[in-house]
Amino acid sequence: MTPYQNRVVCLILLTALWPAVVRNEALANETESFDADDLVFFETKIRPVLAEHCYQCHSATSKSVKAGLRVDSRKSLLDGGDSGPAIVPGDPDDSMLLAAIRYEEYEMPPKGKLPDSVIADFARWLDRSAAWPAEDEPTANEDPVKAFDLEQRKASHWAWQPLSASEPPTVENQDSSLSDIDRYIFAELNSAGLPPAPPVGRSSLARRLSFDLVGLPPSPQDVAEFVNDASEDATERYVDRLLQSPQFGERWGRHWLDLVRYAESRGHEFDPDTPHAFQYRDYVIRALNADVPYDQFVKEHIAGDLLPDPRLNTDAGFNESVLGTGFWFLGEWVHSPVDIRKDEADRFDNMIDCMSKTFLGLTVSCARCHDHKFDAISTEDYYSLTGFLQSSHYCEVPFESLERNRQVAKSLESIDLEYQAALDAELRRLIELDSTTGSLPWQSDLARIPELPEGQNARVVFDYTASDDASVSPFYSDGFAYGTRVTRPGQWVINSNEGRTSAEIAWFGSARNDPFWNAIETVEDRSVNGRRTSIPPGAGRGMRTPTFELQDRFVSLQIRGQGHVFACVDSHRLVVGPLHGETQKKVPEKTDDSIHWVHLNLGRYLGHRVHFELAPADKSCLELLRVVQSSEPLLARDAKVAKDFQAAERWLAELLERVGEDARPLKELQLEWIERRQSLVEQIQVRSRLAMAMMDGVGEEGRVFIRGNASAPGQVVPKHFLTAIDPTPVASAATSGRLELANQITDPSNPLYARVIVNRVWHHLLGRGIVPTVDDFGVLGQRPSHPALLDHLAIWFLGDGQSIKRLIRRVVLSRTYQMSSETSPLARELDPSNVLHHHREPKRLEGEIVRDALLSVSGELNSTMYGESVPVFLTNFMDGRGRPGASGPPDGDRRRSIYIEVRRNFVSPFMLAFDTPVPFSTMGRRTVSNVPAQALILMNDPFVIERAKAWAEHLIQASPNDMNDRIERLYQTAYSRSPTVNEANVITEYAQSNGLHSVQAWGDITHSIINSKEFIYIP
Amino acid sequence: MTTQHHCGRFQPLAQSRREMLAKSFSGMGMLALGAMSGRSAAASDLSRPIRLDGPHGIHFPPKCKSVIFLYMDGGPSQVDTFDPKPALDKYNGQDPSQFFEVAPTQFNNIGKVLASPWKFDRHGESGLPISSLLPHLATCADELCFVRSMTSEFSEHTFANYFLHTGSGLQGRPSMGAWINYGLGSECDNLPGFVAINGGLIPPGGLDCFGNGFLPASFQGSVFKPKGTAVANITPTEAIENQQRKMKLTGALDQLLLDRIGPSDAIESAIANYELAAQMQVAVPELMRLEDEPEYIRRLYGMDSEYEPTRIYAAECLTARRLVERGVRFVEITCPSVGADRWDQHGNLKEGHENNSRAVDQPVAALLKDLRQRGMLDETLVVWAGEFGRTPFAQGANGRDHNPFGFTIWMAGGGVKKGIAYGETDEWGYKAIENRTEIHDLHATMLHLLGVDHTQSTYRFGGRDMRLTDVKGHVMHDIIA
Repeated sequence: MTPYQNRVVCLILLTALWPAVVRNEALANETESFDADDLVFFETKIRPVLAEHCYQCHSATSKSVKAGLRVDSRKSLLDGGDSGPAIVPGDPDDSMLLAAIRYEEYEMPPKGKLPDSVIADFARWLDRSAAWPAEDEPTANEDPVKAFDLEQRKASHWAWQPLSASEPPTVENQDSSLSDIDRYIFAELNSAGLPPAPPVGRSSLARRLSFDLVGLPPSPQDVAEFVNDASEDATERYVDRLLQSPQFGERWGRHWLDLVRYAESRGHEFDPDTPHAFQYRDYVIRALNADVPYDQFVKEHIAGDLLPDPRLNTDAGFNESVLGTGFWFLGEWVHSPVDIRKDEADRFDNMIDCMSKTFLGLTVSCARCHDHKFDAISTEDYYSLTGFLQSSHYCEVPFESLERNRQVAKSLESIDLEYQAALDAELRRLIELDSTTGSLPWQSDLARIPELPEGQNARVVFDYTASDDASVSPFYSDGFAYGTRVTRPGQWVINSNEGRTSAEIAWFGSARNDPFWNAIETVEDRSVNGRRTSIPPGAGRGMRTPTFELQDRFVSLQIRGQGHVFACVDSHRLVVGPLHGETQKKVPEKTDDSIHWVHLNLGRYLGHRVHFELAPADKSCLELLRVVQSSEPLLARDAKVAKDFQAAERWLAELLERVGEDARPLKELQLEWIERRQSLVEQIQVRSRLAMAMMDGVGEEGRVFIRGNASAPGQVVPKHFLTAIDPTPVASAATSGRLELANQITDPSNPLYARVIVNRVWHHLLGRGIVPTVDDFGVLGQRPSHPALLDHLAIWFLGDGQSIKRLIRRVVLSRTYQMSSETSPLARELDPSNVLHHHREPKRLEGEIVRDALLSVSGELNSTMYGESVPVFLTNFMDGRGRPGASGPPDGDRRRSIYIEVRRNFVSPFMLAFDTPVPFSTMGRRTVSNVPAQALILMNDPFVIERAKAWAEHLIQASPNDMNDRIERLYQTAYSRSPTVNEANVITEYAQSNGLHSVQAWGDITHSIINSKEFIYIP
Repeated sequence: MTTQHHCGRFQPLAQSRREMLAKSFSGMGMLALGAMSGRSAAASDLSRPIRLDGPHGIHFPPKCKSVIFLYMDGGPSQVDTFDPKPALDKYNGQDPSQFFEVAPTQFNNIGKVLASPWKFDRHGESGLPISSLLPHLATCADELCFVRSMTSEFSEHTFANYFLHTGSGLQGRPSMGAWINYGLGSECDNLPGFVAINGGLIPPGGLDCFGNGFLPASFQGSVFKPKGTAVANITPTEAIENQQRKMKLTGALDQLLLDRIGPSDAIESAIANYELAAQMQVAVPELMRLEDEPEYIRRLYGMDSEYEPTRIYAAECLTARRLVERGVRFVEITCPSVGADRWDQHGNLKEGHENNSRAVDQPVAALLKDLRQRGMLDETLVVWAGEFGRTPFAQGANGRDHNPFGFTIWMAGGGVKKGIAYGETDEWGYKAIENRTEIHDLHATMLHLLGVDHTQSTYRFGGRDMRLTDVKGHVMHDIIA
């Protein structure tokens, strides 16, 4: 038996034992009745062993009680722990305690198996009566662990409280230029007796704004224009220009990608591709540039596939909303897991972790193994969220053609319904005319489909052959090819055979793809590591069944046609061996159109959740009739039944012959139908690129995994959002419920929703969040430094259309943002960490921005936007399995860093040295460290040296003879300011002694500037 | 010219002109070096908000100062190296499932019980059994402390590697070398505190096995190569005089900046960082000059071996010793490629294990002897471990599959007992049954030997006080001398 089988049996046993347990509890009070010898036996043979080997982890004195089980009283043993009662007095073999010390179910004690004689003592003790003398329940010396009280926790922590509006404080000597933001900040400074730093100079402000808003240094012309602009709204207009620049989305998009662990490969052993990930990156950049309202943006992430009115791309008209859901699938994926159930649990955990930190600033994943240690988040909350994911499904969506083809599919459906009804009526008329008697072929043996072999213990899981609504199984279409409903026996359908299209009667029911869509093509992206994650191939033309729990080893699918069949177990789909190859099968080529069985041996997955996916071969049909499971291999051979249909065909042909001319309207209708459809075919958008997306599967509920153990499922928890925010369960159990979840998350009454995003914006602009732990608003996170300001901004944001751009605009136009970096000794002494914002902390540029700035100052930046990533440059030190076959160009085609490929196992060392996070979870605040590798890169990396040289050539070209002009240009490009006299002297001196106008000397100078601290620390 | 101080820290005796220039080339020599990143987590003010104050640093008197981690890539077979099992000879060729329940394996291709092709002998005064695969190591038996009851939670390389290196099966957590440097800081001013020497095979899971995870980048493992340019960007692409001239210019500009804006922790730390980088430029090539070692030492390690993988591994082991001598806290060395596969013999057990053994045996033995003769072994913990062991039954006909249920790792020096075997597997060498030990316990013990309480060395991330040992780990007190 596999361990899973063991567990299933065990759980069944436990359930069956429930009444017995109740009875035993009653027994527990009758301690006096124990035999004196049994009590002596207990005290000499049993209790000492328990005390020596078990109490450390399983008693009231344990530091932490493991598995919820205590073994220091009879009652505790009867009550049991996470896995149920530990003993059944009188029945040693059903006592989990004995199974554990026998190393059967668990292996206890973990440090080594007890001697056989001791195990025999326990068996005897249990067999007798599990005697235990009457005594008080042991209690711990320390305070008992406080019970998890969600309401109490919610009431006592600031972040759960509703947003609270306040009037901006009045500041002494307030001048009219103070914004609301400044009044909150300056009031605090005043009461601390700290003066704010003076406003920064125009040119420094220009540089600061440019790096903060678009991640590039401003051009000297832009700075000059701004500095010389005497109008009152000069700063406003400068800011607006930056906000409207397409580079805004590239800068803030990179911030966002940190939240969603963006990468283009899966990591793990061979670092396989994450297909089409860059489509998500482009989506983010476009959405930020378009200033999509934040609630819309969030809803698109959670349930963009389900929005009733998806947002369309303003230029190309394609569905933008669905692309947001790609974020769910950007995580690490594993191939060939031995414990496939745990693999799913880990993937879900990462998805929940990322979702809850990103949108809620909550560490919900901490409640995976136990109720959250600090926050008002229960384990039930955590597992209820897994229900949303279990009910959802990975797909690669042809997003460019989605909306266009949805319209085509609608038109097609109405045409089909019209002609099917007309043809039905016409056929009936002919039958009456012909006085045909007897049952129709599809109701008789004439078109009988092979049944299950008799005498075999086979069970039908899904049946698509039934003629009545009640018995036919549902299915889910990936794209439009399989339509919205099952084909019924006797239904008129269009068939296509070797280029000949005909209108025919379907002699049997099936889930069937319409040849109408055969022209669909998908555009393949560049593949680095061929281990694709799309199984089966044929995105956008497939179907899937509902999910079910596998009970028998063998599954057979009755099908007709060609293509791929995939049994998706526990939503694992990175099937590249050595394990799990048995889940996929290519359906062999058949020259005729016989119905046959495809057999899968899924014995490894008994008790697992499975669904099937079908993808027709190119230009082919693939029909699914039935899915059955059986404990023995199904004996049915690939019975050919084409001749049966010949009889049915003959019936129709003879009928039409008999009615003669009267058949003409029917034939005309057939031709007309084909023509109408033909004209519609031309409207299909044939080619489309693909993107990762989520789609709805079967509505399921999550189950608690006891102590986070995926092999120990506990109670079912209905899908709901976090209890502390909105405990209303999802109304519709039949869907994934993600749309409801998206609405609950973005509801203005959710106290975390707006606070978290305005705090993120504040963090990126001011260098530290009002809540410094931007991804954790929980008890272990830091408290807001200015809680009233946080709520003020959140309320304003909600009331202002949730515009990220306007929020940024508001913050950067404040005096607070525009303070200089100058500090006073007093301020440094009283508030050395600058919590109150008495000055601007110089900000070190991120790795991406250092690289972008180098390309920008050297005049080499390639500002091409979007598209497939430039392969990452592989240094000699980037080694390991899954290393791409070819390195990208050393200069990354001079594109902005956001367009350089992020391969999980081959992250650029340049970026890593400058704290670019390894993409494994939400990282809203990067660390800013100071390591010699940074200096070594800026000193010796050939990429840097080449930029320095190109920059020098530029400068010499621009001012070939005028040294002062050249120095001025150098300073304007590098720091957006003129040099001081001292600086100009130092540079001049260097040029004079090393080559006045030589590229070599000026390359040295530009390289020195790049290594100067002002280049990467922005005051 | 070098000399060793009692603590093993490297000190230059007389500075060469080059060294002197490098030390002062930025012109900022007056800035204290105390703020250097490798020295402490809170090097710059900008990183300070991340780091939370708490119990930190040394909690007990340390038994050792450094760790050399000999990572045996792919999972060596315990029953063919350090854990002899006569039952395998007796039942060779029989179906294992008649004797015990066989758990699912990575390849699910369960063969027969497979006797070890190698002979075991007892060695040294301790009489520890070591197979004929490792004749050189056998001469060090009395230095070794076997843990024969190690277990892992994973049957897959990558999970198991992340687990071995970071205490978590998933990507993105800080490596043990990062944790150790986070906890203790570096003892070395001119080399990184965590070095991974890449002999050719990067563990499955990739360079992230040496990552800093959520800790600041200061704790990243630096990947060294045993030959050629050892460290990325360490060699100036121009004459050193030219670089120094430029950096002097940079230094002057930086000083003018500071004059203008006043004191700034961030900027001063960044300036100091250049000092460290400049020193590294000198220190690394000096470190890598293995030709400076006496001939008998080079021969001891196997630098003259006919077998190239042995020569590579010899250079790695020798470099590891030189790193530890210079105060580097944590050195991991990865295996060289022996052509076919790492220690991952799903087939061809005999040839594969013989090649892998041949590559590491002599250099590892030499490392132990060399450390001992220099009086360094007691303050250097050497750990030899794969991510899991191998099955006592065959995969197919002549391979062994992954086995996380019971396998042998060993330690030497660094305050562990000598010549003992701790823990036991069952009669098949399949599952640990006595003193069952987890990777968390290995980590807890390593930290303990370094003077760190693994439950106290925490870093707050994602709403939790994270630890190398998660919420687990027991120090193996029984093996501590």
